[in-house]
Amino acid sequence: MNIVVCVKQVPDTATERKLRSDDNTLDRDAADGVVNELDEYAVEEALRLKEAHGGEVTVLTMGPDKAADTIRKALAMGADKAVHLVDDALHGSDALSTSYAMAQTLKKIGFDLVILGSESTDARTGVLAAMLAERLGVAQLTLANKVEVEGSAVTIQRVTDYGYDKVQGSLPAVISVVEKINEPRYPSFKGIMAAKKKPVQKLGAAEAELAADQIGLGAAWSEVTEAAAAPPRAAGTVVKDEGDGGVKTADFLSSKKFI
Amino acid sequence: MDFGLSVEERQIRDTVRAFVEKEVMPLEPEVLRNERAGRPGIEPEVLRGLRDKARQMGFWGINTPEEYGGAALGPVMSAIIAMETGRTFVPFSFGGSADNILYAGNEEQKRRYLIPTIEGERRSCFAITEPGAGSDARNIRTRAVKDGGEWVINGEKTFITGGNEADFVMVFAVTDPEKGANGGVTCFLVDRDMGWKSEPIPTMGQWGPASLVFEDVRVPEENILGELGQGFQLAMQWIGQGRYMIPARAVGAAERLLQMAIDYAKIRKSMGRPIAEYQAIQWMIADSQVEIEAAKWLTLNAAWQVQQGRDARHAASIAKLNGAIMANQVVDRVMQIHGGMGYTKELPIERWYRELRLLRIFEGTDEIQRRTIARNLLRGHARLGTIGE
Repeated sequence: MNIVVCVKQVPDTATERKLRSDDNTLDRDAADGVVNELDEYAVEEALRLKEAHGGEVTVLTMGPDKAADTIRKALAMGADKAVHLVDDALHGSDALSTSYAMAQTLKKIGFDLVILGSESTDARTGVLAAMLAERLGVAQLTLANKVEVEGSAVTIQRVTDYGYDKVQGSLPAVISVVEKINEPRYPSFKGIMAAKKKPVQKLGAAEAELAADQIGLGAAWSEVTEAAAAPPRAAGTVVKDEGDGGVKTADFLSSKKFI
Repeated sequence: MDFGLSVEERQIRDTVRAFVEKEVMPLEPEVLRNERAGRPGIEPEVLRGLRDKARQMGFWGINTPEEYGGAALGPVMSAIIAMETGRTFVPFSFGGSADNILYAGNEEQKRRYLIPTIEGERRSCFAITEPGAGSDARNIRTRAVKDGGEWVINGEKTFITGGNEADFVMVFAVTDPEKGANGGVTCFLVDRDMGWKSEPIPTMGQWGPASLVFEDVRVPEENILGELGQGFQLAMQWIGQGRYMIPARAVGAAERLLQMAIDYAKIRKSMGRPIAEYQAIQWMIADSQVEIEAAKWLTLNAAWQVQQGRDARHAASIAKLNGAIMANQVVDRVMQIHGGMGYTKELPIERWYRELRLLRIFEGTDEIQRRTIARNLLRGHARLGTIGE
């Protein structure tokens, strides 16, 4: 099975994240880049499927040069090779144009199964899997906390508010995974050393045959017009127990729709 | 001159950091609770479980040769990894290593002692210090006398790290009083069931050494490690192994502590302002980082010299002396910044404070390190004006 895992480099959530003042896009130089956490689950799931069914795992990322670190981490975990879509013209691409660029590349490199994290911790649109499936004209199996492949049938458990739905599709397909699906492995020493020998193919916009009017800030359908820092957290509510602490607590939780 | 890490080195460092943060640090509250209740901080099975998990990922035998299943990453990477594991006070280290002098054993000794130690099936301890012989190890009195095909050992060892848990000891005894340290001291591999006894020595920190008593302990001739009379050289080899690892762990601990102080200074308010805004606090933070950085590079330099195959004893003494003093100064400032909270047992600072004090005493006191450094210079064994030469 030919599995492609899409990974994204995002600013470390533990550091202060900023938008650029000139075009309100993410300031990627301001924070350390790390692998989007949910993508680590996607890589793990791909590796498990490969271990169970054989085949090959390819990492696909779109991002600036320094996103190569993210590729290396996925290769160190055990992926076989990588494709890095990198071009200044891609800067500022929104979800729609990103899905275009990724879909074009996926068509070029071929796949049986595409696996993504369900969202990124930076933009958090959570729509890329659906857009990719649509653009590629293949089955869309999103928010999976369990994946099973049998022959050409893929079955997932899609997480819902009430539990999960069982959803089945046939290969080729696009899957997005949630964090409960597995426990991502740490790269091993051997994996880290082996990663540098694994092939990484760099593709520019021209090589990926991307239409210039479909990518980048100019092609974006959405625009960040303004950004403001989150307000500081307000003081919490203190419930004083005068014999009715339980009721007050329940009322409070109920008012917030927790119960 | 390149002070950077390669991509692979950085990735190994980051992976170890993630492992320590996700697998080891979460045990910290429980370790504190256990220790407060007078129990061992971490159960041996838990520690073993962690090591096994790490082993599956190849974190095993960091500096152990590959033919023994190790990763053989070398001294510099070992130091960097020790800085990472030093970030937590949970007494965790990666498994798969054994005392360097066990490699001096013959094939049978390697099979019985070295390999099981690497595998974590046996536990060793190194016993040279005696009540009357510390850094002046030449004065040891423990005696081994030949009787037929066996040696009979009598004497007492003290402050033996791991002595309570070990099932065999590398013990140094005088086999020829005439020659003393120059050919008259021998190292014996002695199983616990050959009759030596251990007694725990309670200390100020979590380091729980033992005193060992040998009363007519009979040891077969084949349990001599290395050659008869050449024990003192082995002892010096053991003591010299990875001395840079002590300041490396200290750097990790100090960085973690300083981060705690920085975080606390930003939220703790006094007289209406976060204490981080006061110069008194800022200077403590600044001085701490300056000292940590100095210790970090001295440590890496010592490890690098070992990696180059040089005699790194001088550099290691400098790093150990500096790192031990640095850690004590930093933990003291961090406690000061935390004020009353720092002094409580709610936070791990007081625990670290007690533990780090040991660094200035064991494996050569500050005074012994200074003596070594000064003598090397006075006798011309070390030169001034060198850079990595």
